[in-house]
Amino acid sequence: MKKLFAEVHEAWLATQFSGFMAQTQNRQTLYEFSNILFKHLTWLENDFIKNKISYTYDINQVPIRVEKLSVMVHNIIGRIEAIEAQLSTCNDEDITFRMQSDLSYIKSALSKMEDEEVASCFDGKRVYPNVALTDEARDALTIFLFEESYKEYELIMVYNYSKANSDNAFLNRIFQILIDESFFHLRSFGQMMAEMGILAVPRSLMEEIYKFDDLEQFLKDGIQEEIGAKEECKKLAAAVSDSSEHFADFFTFINNQENYHIALMEEALAYLNRT
Amino acid sequence: MTADEILVEHMMNPQNYGKIEDADATGMGKNPQNGEKVAIYLKVEAEDDPLITDIAFQAIGCTTTVVAGSIVTSEAKNIHFTRAEELVSTTLGMLENQSPEDAACTEMVALALKAALDTYREKQKDPEFTMLSYHIQTDCTPKEEEA
Repeated sequence: MKKLFAEVHEAWLATQFSGFMAQTQNRQTLYEFSNILFKHLTWLENDFIKNKISYTYDINQVPIRVEKLSVMVHNIIGRIEAIEAQLSTCNDEDITFRMQSDLSYIKSALSKMEDEEVASCFDGKRVYPNVALTDEARDALTIFLFEESYKEYELIMVYNYSKANSDNAFLNRIFQILIDESFFHLRSFGQMMAEMGILAVPRSLMEEIYKFDDLEQFLKDGIQEEIGAKEECKKLAAAVSDSSEHFADFFTFINNQENYHIALMEEALAYLNRT
Repeated sequence: MTADEILVEHMMNPQNYGKIEDADATGMGKNPQNGEKVAIYLKVEAEDDPLITDIAFQAIGCTTTVVAGSIVTSEAKNIHFTRAEELVSTTLGMLENQSPEDAACTEMVALALKAALDTYREKQKDPEFTMLSYHIQTDCTPKEEEA
């Protein structure tokens, strides 16, 4: 079942990042399917926990550099077929029945998906449509997008692991909000990476990132990281303000959203200190 | 390809990223200031001068660390330990030309490779030996934060 778990994880990322490539209605469809695959991941994870089986988020790299969306769509269908072949390794028939039903529909819908040219998502030109960036702003934005796309993926998995392994309703509410927020940010940054021709799936996570012993210290570190991210957003907003009001507004918006994340983590910290 | 294009390519597609489950040796480079770390895994063919037949790395760190890991591990694949030691020395010798943040990331990767080489040697003497971990010396505090 560990192989099944890793394959679902990889299929989720392949589908999510294919959504970033798409410029049409396909994007929303791929987003919805990636949501379903992520949900499958959490079902399998809960089954591990229920049966007291240790697990990791180790995965293979997920190659996505293609010229046409149809190549990724075929790749995802192949991944789903590999998942179907492994479903019997999960003993919970309720889970596998639901997964099989979802997967059959997803495969059918994907096989009818219109093709799109997506080569520009990987051309490395680092040109944002209708925005004139200075060399300095372009470099800063490039680094920021690689750093933050990884960070958002990391946060999704860290909070997901924490939530899956906790039965504390108060903390789990906060973890779920933070997961949802990180999904929104990952999608924003992923779309920008595709626009700039630098789209790539983040690297896999080291086990100790999500299997930490001290939640309180993790939250404290997380608050410091959010403060650092706010500063980066401020710098980027200033660096691009001359060339793009839209960009500047976007980074100011992201900067302000970090305040909410900090407030949530402070709320969790206060709760831990009370209990 | 320009230097910028090569760096972006390493960011998009880091070489040798991951873990070797049955590694012959693992080494760790750590930054005690911020908890960042790099692990390097080696598969080695035993010879008088052992040969690195496969190499992989993982990082808890920034994009610069990943780029450095991608470059250094690419250079270290299929070379002998003597040459790998030279690679470590050369890499450490270039730190002063980099910003403190970049130098810290590069040093962490070089020390992880050094630790993996030394771990391999220790394991030849004691098969139960686990892993060496080296701490970087570079202060990665940006100049503006020191003021």
